Amino acid sequence: MASGAVVRAEGLWKIYQEGGTPLAVLRGVDLSIDSGEIVALRGPSGSGKSTLLNILGCLDRPSRGRYWLGGKDVSTLDATAQAWVRLHYIGFIFQTFHLISHSTALENVALPLHYAGVPKASAHQTARALLARVGLADRLDHRPNQLSGGQRQRVAVARALALKPRLILADEPTGALDTRTGQEILGLLLELHAEARLTLVLVTHDPNVASVAHRQIQVRDGLIVGETRSDAPAA
Amino acid sequence: MRRPRSELFGMAFETLRRNPGRSALTLLGLAIGVGAFIAMVSFGEGARRSVMDQFKALGTHLVRVRGTSRGGQERRPLSDADIAAIQRDSTSISKIIPVARVIFEATHAGHQWWTPVHGTEPEFATLHTWDTSLGGLFDARDLARRAKVCVLGQTVVRELFGDDSADPLGETVTIGGLLTCRVIGVLGPKGTSTSGNDVDDIVLIPVTTFAAYFGLPQGYSALEIGPSQPEWIEAAKEEARTALRRSHGLGVDEADDFQIDSPTEVLKAVDRTATILARLLQGIAAVSLFVGGVGIMNIQLVSVTERTAEIGIRAAIGASPRQILAQFLVEGALLSLLGATFGIMIGVGVSVSVAASMGWQRITSFGDVAGAAAFGIAVGLVFGFLPARRAALLDPIEALRRQ
Repeated sequence: MASGAVVRAEGLWKIYQEGGTPLAVLRGVDLSIDSGEIVALRGPSGSGKSTLLNILGCLDRPSRGRYWLGGKDVSTLDATAQAWVRLHYIGFIFQTFHLISHSTALENVALPLHYAGVPKASAHQTARALLARVGLADRLDHRPNQLSGGQRQRVAVARALALKPRLILADEPTGALDTRTGQEILGLLLELHAEARLTLVLVTHDPNVASVAHRQIQVRDGLIVGETRSDAPAA
Repeated sequence: MRRPRSELFGMAFETLRRNPGRSALTLLGLAIGVGAFIAMVSFGEGARRSVMDQFKALGTHLVRVRGTSRGGQERRPLSDADIAAIQRDSTSISKIIPVARVIFEATHAGHQWWTPVHGTEPEFATLHTWDTSLGGLFDARDLARRAKVCVLGQTVVRELFGDDSADPLGETVTIGGLLTCRVIGVLGPKGTSTSGNDVDDIVLIPVTTFAAYFGLPQGYSALEIGPSQPEWIEAAKEEARTALRRSHGLGVDEADDFQIDSPTEVLKAVDRTATILARLLQGIAAVSLFVGGVGIMNIQLVSVTERTAEIGIRAAIGASPRQILAQFLVEGALLSLLGATFGIMIGVGVSVSVAASMGWQRITSFGDVAGAAAFGIAVGLVFGFLPARRAALLDPIEALRRQ
C-alpha cells in the first residue's frame, strides 16, 4: 500500500525458559501489516497468537528476530521506551475491557492523555469528544460497574483512540459480549476505521468478526500457517 | 512534558479517600511516631533545663578566684587592685565582688554557733540568685558607712533563735565577740550544695564592716565573678586569669598564684547526663517513628498487591515505570505528610500540657518540631519507596492476568 507498512516483523521467536525445558511459543514469524489494513489473527488456544499480539503491542519482547513499528526498530527497547511506544503508537482493546474500576468513563478515557502530559482541562475536553463519538455523551461520570458490557467496551475503544495511535490491537474485543452487542462494537470499529484509516489487528475466534478483515492470518504452533485475503470486507 | 505535581497529589488524595479507615490507621502510626518524637525531645529538654536550673540555683554559674601559696612563698592576697584590673580588662564579666570569709562564733541571748561569716557586697545575692525570705540585704549606703548590720542564713537563725520560724529582724547578734550587729534580713533556704555543705549556714555582713572590725590581713578570701551571659563563663574565667596574671606581674613561665574555679565541669557532667537521658528518650521515639514508617510500607505493599490489575492496565496503556513509581510515592508521601501534620498536633499538645503541669517554661522549639516532621516524612518516603518500586517493576502482562 502507498502509505507503507505500519508493522514489519522478521523471524520473531519467543522462547520461555521455565523449569529448564525451553518452550518455543513463536518459532520464526514474519509479518507485515500496511497502514489502514484490518488484519485478523486466528488460531486455537496456545497457538501463540496472544504472545504475538503482546510483542506487536510492545508489552513483550521477542527472544529473537526484529520488529519495526512505523519504520522504527522496537524489538529491543527497555521498559520505559516500550511504555512510551505503547502510549503514543498503540491503542489496546481487551476482551474484558480493563477499565479502571474506581474511575469514571471520562477519567478512563483521559488516562492516556494524562500520561502523555496533556493538562487536565484539555484532556477532559478530548475525552468528552471521544465518548460522544462512541455514543456515551450521557455516561461521562458513570463508573464501569454502572455501565453495560457494550458500554464498557465503547469506553475502552474511546480510550484506545485517545492519542490517535497508528495501530489498534484488539484482543477478542467481542468475546465477553452477546452477539448483538458484539456486532455493535464491531460496527463501531469499522466506522472508526473508515473515518480515520486506522490500522486494526484483531485476535478472534469468531468467524463473524474475522470476516470483516482484509486479511485473515492463521497461527498454529508458533508459526503463521496460512493467510486468506478478502478484497471486499464486510462492513 | 511532565504532569503538574498538584494533579498527582489530587489523584493520591482520591485514592486515600477511597479507603478512609485504612488511610487513617496508617497515618495514625506515623502521627504517633512524630508526636512521640516531638514530645520526647521536649520532655528531654524540659527535664534537662529543670535539672540545670536546680544546679544553677546552688550558685554554680559564677567563677570563684582564690589566692594560693606558691613554692613556699606567702599567699598572694587578693586586693581591690585585682578587682579593678579584672574590671578594666574584661568584656564578658558583669559583676565582680570581694568575699572575706572567716568562721566566727556568733552569739545571741546565750545561744552560740560557729558559722562562716562573709564580708561582701550587696551583689552577692544577685550573683548567687539568692533572695531574702525576711527583711532585705544591706545596700551601698550600709557599705559606705560600715553599717553594723547582718543577714543570716536559715541554719544560723535556727541555731541562734531556737527555730526556723523565729523572726530575728531587729535583734542583735554578736560576731567573734567584737561586732554586735542588727539583723536586717534572713536568706531563703537553699539546702545542701553539690559538695555536701550546708549552704544555709552563713552570715553576710558588709565587706567594709568586716574590714573595720576584723581587718583583711590576707586580703580577700575570694573574688566572685559573674559572666554577662551564662554561656560566657569560660570566657570570663580566661579573662579573669589574664587580668590577674598581669595585675600580679607574673611572667609567661610563672605559674598562677591564684586558683580559679568554675562549676562548669560539674555543670558539664550534669548536662551530659541529662543530654544522654534526653537522647535515650529520642531514640525510643525514633523507634516508634520507624514503626510508623513500617506501617506505611505494609499498607502500601498491600495496596500494590490489591491494585496489581489496575497497575497492569495503566502500564498497558502506556504509563511509564517512572509514572507508576511517582503515583505510589506520592501516595506514600501524602500519607506521611498527613501523619506528620497530625503528629505535630499530638506532639505539641502533649508537650505543652506536660510542660504546664511540670511548671516548665516553653520547651518545644520550632526547630524540633520541623525536624521531627521532616524525619517522619523522610521515613514515610523511604518506606513508601519499596512498594512503589514493586509497582513500577510489575510486568504488565502478568499484572493484567490478575483480575
